[in-house]
Amino acid sequence: MSKKIIDNVKLGIFVMAGLLLLIFSLYMIGRTESLFGSTFKLRTHFKNTNGLTKGNNIRYSGIQVGTVKSMQILNDTTIEVVMVIEEKARTYIHTNAITSIGNEGLMGNKVINISPGKGFAPVVNENDIILSQKSIDTDEMLQTLNKTNENIAVISEELKSTVLRINNSSAIWKILNDNSLASNLKIALENIRLASVKSKEVTTDLYTVINDVKKGKGSAGILLRDTAFAVQLNEAVVKLKQAGDNANRLAEVLTNDINKINNQIEKGQGVITALINDTSITLQLKRTLDNIEKGTDGFNANMEALKHNIFFRGYFRKLEKQKKKI
Amino acid sequence: MALPLKTRFFFSETGDIARFTGRFFSHGIKPRYEITEFFRQCFIIGYKSLPLVSLTGFIIGLVLTMQLRPALMDYGVESQLPGMVGIAIVREIGPMLTALIFAGKIGSSIGAELGSMKVTEQIDAMEVSGTNPFKYLVVTRVVAATLMLPVLVVISDCIALYGSYLGVNIHSVTSFHLFFDQVFHRLAFGDVIPSISKTFFFGFAIGVIGCYKGYTSSKGTEGVGSAANAAVVVSSVLVFIIDLIAVQITDILGLN
Repeated sequence: MSKKIIDNVKLGIFVMAGLLLLIFSLYMIGRTESLFGSTFKLRTHFKNTNGLTKGNNIRYSGIQVGTVKSMQILNDTTIEVVMVIEEKARTYIHTNAITSIGNEGLMGNKVINISPGKGFAPVVNENDIILSQKSIDTDEMLQTLNKTNENIAVISEELKSTVLRINNSSAIWKILNDNSLASNLKIALENIRLASVKSKEVTTDLYTVINDVKKGKGSAGILLRDTAFAVQLNEAVVKLKQAGDNANRLAEVLTNDINKINNQIEKGQGVITALINDTSITLQLKRTLDNIEKGTDGFNANMEALKHNIFFRGYFRKLEKQKKKI
Repeated sequence: MALPLKTRFFFSETGDIARFTGRFFSHGIKPRYEITEFFRQCFIIGYKSLPLVSLTGFIIGLVLTMQLRPALMDYGVESQLPGMVGIAIVREIGPMLTALIFAGKIGSSIGAELGSMKVTEQIDAMEVSGTNPFKYLVVTRVVAATLMLPVLVVISDCIALYGSYLGVNIHSVTSFHLFFDQVFHRLAFGDVIPSISKTFFFGFAIGVIGCYKGYTSSKGTEGVGSAANAAVVVSSVLVFIIDLIAVQITDILGLN
């Protein structure tokens, strides 16, 4: 009887071990297919699913968060994919997230990658539709590559002819082989450098001048900046003009007078004409002047004598005293 | 009916097995149930087969890994080895190998045991003593075989995967955790459930054929030997046929 019990215990352990292993393996598989634990659904639309199938993995920034639950064709350009996502990933997925279809490795299964969008957006809700991005298709990639290849072929052909022309041109080789060119170029560059230094100085000076002018300093500054000066200048010019006018009139009067005098001279009338034209008058005048000179000499002597006269001596002394006082 | 003798024999045998199966169900459903005998049979059929099944499972896991490795290395996908071995063992090799070993061990023992009972007229004696020999001998054994084989397969799968883990570690270093992660990453319910479900049918077929061959064995010691032999051969062939049908059904159901 006791042996029977032991046998039954062994049997029980055996069966329990088998069942536990089965349950464990089913749980492990269920965990990878995210059938246990709380989940929520998200939807996304693709134009082409590139061979995505039910049960394919969904990754959020590379981390496994769920699986593809179902796919249905909505219309000729839209395929709706329903995804089952773990609840704990919900807080990280926002409504501006973007899905794309990628590969597990180079030739592996297809996966849906959910990548976070830019900017702020609310967290997703059950059955929300998130936007999808066109995945990189190998066929399209190859087509683009083909186009690129053709372009490269054209470019290389052109490049080849250019290089041939360069090789055939003797002028370029002459320039390249000329050793003096380098030293000349060096000197020229040195000169350019000096010139640029000078020009820098000049511009600095010019700058200060312009600055002064702007501030109204110096004559040029006043000329350009002082409005009062402009008014004064205007007045001055007006006055100058009036002066010019007056001078003009004066010249006219003078011309008239001179013309009259000329006429009189030509006709032999008046004192001046007599003076100019009559030679005898000069002699008479000379004699007259001599006589006046003699007369004045005599008068001087008379006056001197008068000073020393007893009657008038007091008066003259009085004059001398007044002079000294001053 | 102008069928050749062998053909006629084949069809009559098939009909007899079908009738035997129907008899199993009609007797099995009705009470009184032979619980104690059923547990005893479970112990003999299930527990006693465990060492043999474990050994074969362990060896096949190890060998399969070592054999697949060079081929996978040619493609540079050595890292997929755990996933591939896992799928191969869980889907096909585990159930089939265990069922064949089980057929060899249990099918022959049931056939021989019932055959010798039949030959020594113990079955007739049981009938006389008022015990239903069909219930006591056949129903308990068939049910025990049906229920024990899936348990054996699950344990054998795990041991085979452990052997595979050791096989992977012969040439490279993989942590136990990573290995099982990779195995379960590749596996889906569509892999495990059909493969475990079909083992019930394997166990049932092995039990029924063993019992039928033993229960209907001809008189004489020669009959016992041929009953045991036929039980193993027929049940092994049936395991393959059921496997074919099971794979087709899972394919139709889209579980693959």
